[in-house]
Amino acid sequence: MSDEQTEMVLVTVDEEKCIGAGQCEMLEEDTFYVDDDTVIAKVIGTGMLERSRANLIVETCPSQAISIVEASAQESPVGDAQEDSGAEEADPS
Amino acid sequence: MSTTTTPTPNITDPSLYLDGIPHERFAEIRNADGLMWHDYHDGGFWVVSRHADVKTVSKDGKTFSSAVGMTNLWDLEADAIEARRSLIDSDAPDHTRLRRLVARAFTPKNIRRWESTVRDITVELLDAYVAKGEGDFVAEVAAPLPIRVILTMLGVPVEDAGYLVELSNFLVEGTGDTQSIPPDAFGNTTPLRLLPFNSPASHALFEYGEKIGDLRRADPQDDLVTSLVQAEADDGDRLSGSEYRNLFHLLVFAGNETTRTGLSHGAIALADHPEQWQRVLDDSAMVETATEEILRWSTPVLHMRRTTTAPVELGGTHLDAGEKVVMWYASANHDERVFANPHTFDVGRTENPHFSFGGGGPHTCLGAFLARLEVAVLLEEMAARKMHLTRLGEPVRVPSNFVHGVLSVDMAVEARS
Ligand code: HEM
Ligand code: SF4
Repeated sequence: MSDEQTEMVLVTVDEEKCIGAGQCEMLEEDTFYVDDDTVIAKVIGTGMLERSRANLIVETCPSQAISIVEASAQESPVGDAQEDSGAEEADPS
Repeated sequence: MSTTTTPTPNITDPSLYLDGIPHERFAEIRNADGLMWHDYHDGGFWVVSRHADVKTVSKDGKTFSSAVGMTNLWDLEADAIEARRSLIDSDAPDHTRLRRLVARAFTPKNIRRWESTVRDITVELLDAYVAKGEGDFVAEVAAPLPIRVILTMLGVPVEDAGYLVELSNFLVEGTGDTQSIPPDAFGNTTPLRLLPFNSPASHALFEYGEKIGDLRRADPQDDLVTSLVQAEADDGDRLSGSEYRNLFHLLVFAGNETTRTGLSHGAIALADHPEQWQRVLDDSAMVETATEEILRWSTPVLHMRRTTTAPVELGGTHLDAGEKVVMWYASANHDERVFANPHTFDVGRTENPHFSFGGGGPHTCLGAFLARLEVAVLLEEMAARKMHLTRLGEPVRVPSNFVHGVLSVDMAVEARS
């Protein structure tokens, strides 16, 4: 289902959960920035990523602080989208 | 749902590890139904051996707590838990607060800034080693490299590196059966059970951390100790005195012993598999995959423990709240469900989601990118010198079920460039 994988989605960071590991920033410098003072990641720019890329980043964040903001309730719930992402393929390195 | 209770596979006997990781035993455990129960002293624990189960436990810090029973195999009394608690043994929200205090210095972006420091130290050590022509790789390269890097980051004078390496060696002993130093070594008066690794060397490390903390409070510098003591000063309850001491201790130990182990096993593997080293020499792009393979192959930390906070189903076994689960990275890193030919050392391995830095989740190794940088720079500089290592003897291993340590390994070294 390549349509679904290349569709653009909005990502967001839960400030309570972020531990400032900076993996998001390493993978997508134009979308994430770890604030030097708070050591919390911020979404910068449009915050839009291809779904497959967003899934990878959701999976890579060690503290499960990143999520995809689903556009409408009719779409598949976030949980399902994550299950499809092929967790084992997401190399954290 | 099924549970295998017999026979108890003994994987905690430290002396077992003198011959390396007991792979056959782990394979048996991985391939049994459900989780296996393992007796241990007066209690016992569930062996979490499969890659997928390690990942589940790591990612769910709420159900699998690091704070309740801490992260060691053995259980501690309440006062010892409180005295010893640090970042690694805390849960959110304490953990999140402590982690952010140190996280900034360790993001991949900020770690890249240390590359030239790492390279300078590596070059100095390798050139001296090559000039000697032979010697113990651990003492000459693997031990001094990471401690000098972390001490530079912390802001500790390089003259003190030798002393801190020595303390770290004593700490490792504390994970085995024997201690070669008396309980009152280094002027220690604290009961050993209140000290990390039950070791008087922890007392010495705390004292050292306090001394340098005092120096930085009086005269702030651009280093990690300064940022820790300032966090403490800003707001009394952000970082308590005990949290500072434990964090200092954790950074020195965790940044040192583990990386040393990875580098040592890397050198041994490259000496034992010259055809793999040749691949790195032929293609510098191989450094990245070789680094990950060395990390997988070495699995410097063999396990971490969690305690369940609620009933949960794991790997086909039902667990109640308050049960001890131990994740064996040594097993997950050789899980045949995930790694093709897991017992082959393959520097070109591309699918390599190893768990040497933990199985993901909030406690994911803080120093992972620093450790990767150190391994990668070592490989680059060895390749630049066309260095060849030949083993002159068997490695002397650490009798420990916790660190996959190498005490020494004699090698001949030749630079063919
Ligand atoms: C090859 C080298 C290293 C290995 C194999 C390693 C391994 C690990 C493992 C397995 C954990 C526990 C993960 C978990 O419970 O999920 C951990 C945590 C940690 N490591 Fe490393 N480590 C290495 C290097 C370093 C370095 C260089 C530092 C630097 C300062 C460091 C600092 C820490 C800290 C502070 C924690 C606790 C993090 C937390 O609880 O939030 N480690 N490491
Ligand atoms: S990867 Fe996750 S924890 Fe790390 S900085 Fe990004 S959001 Fe925060």
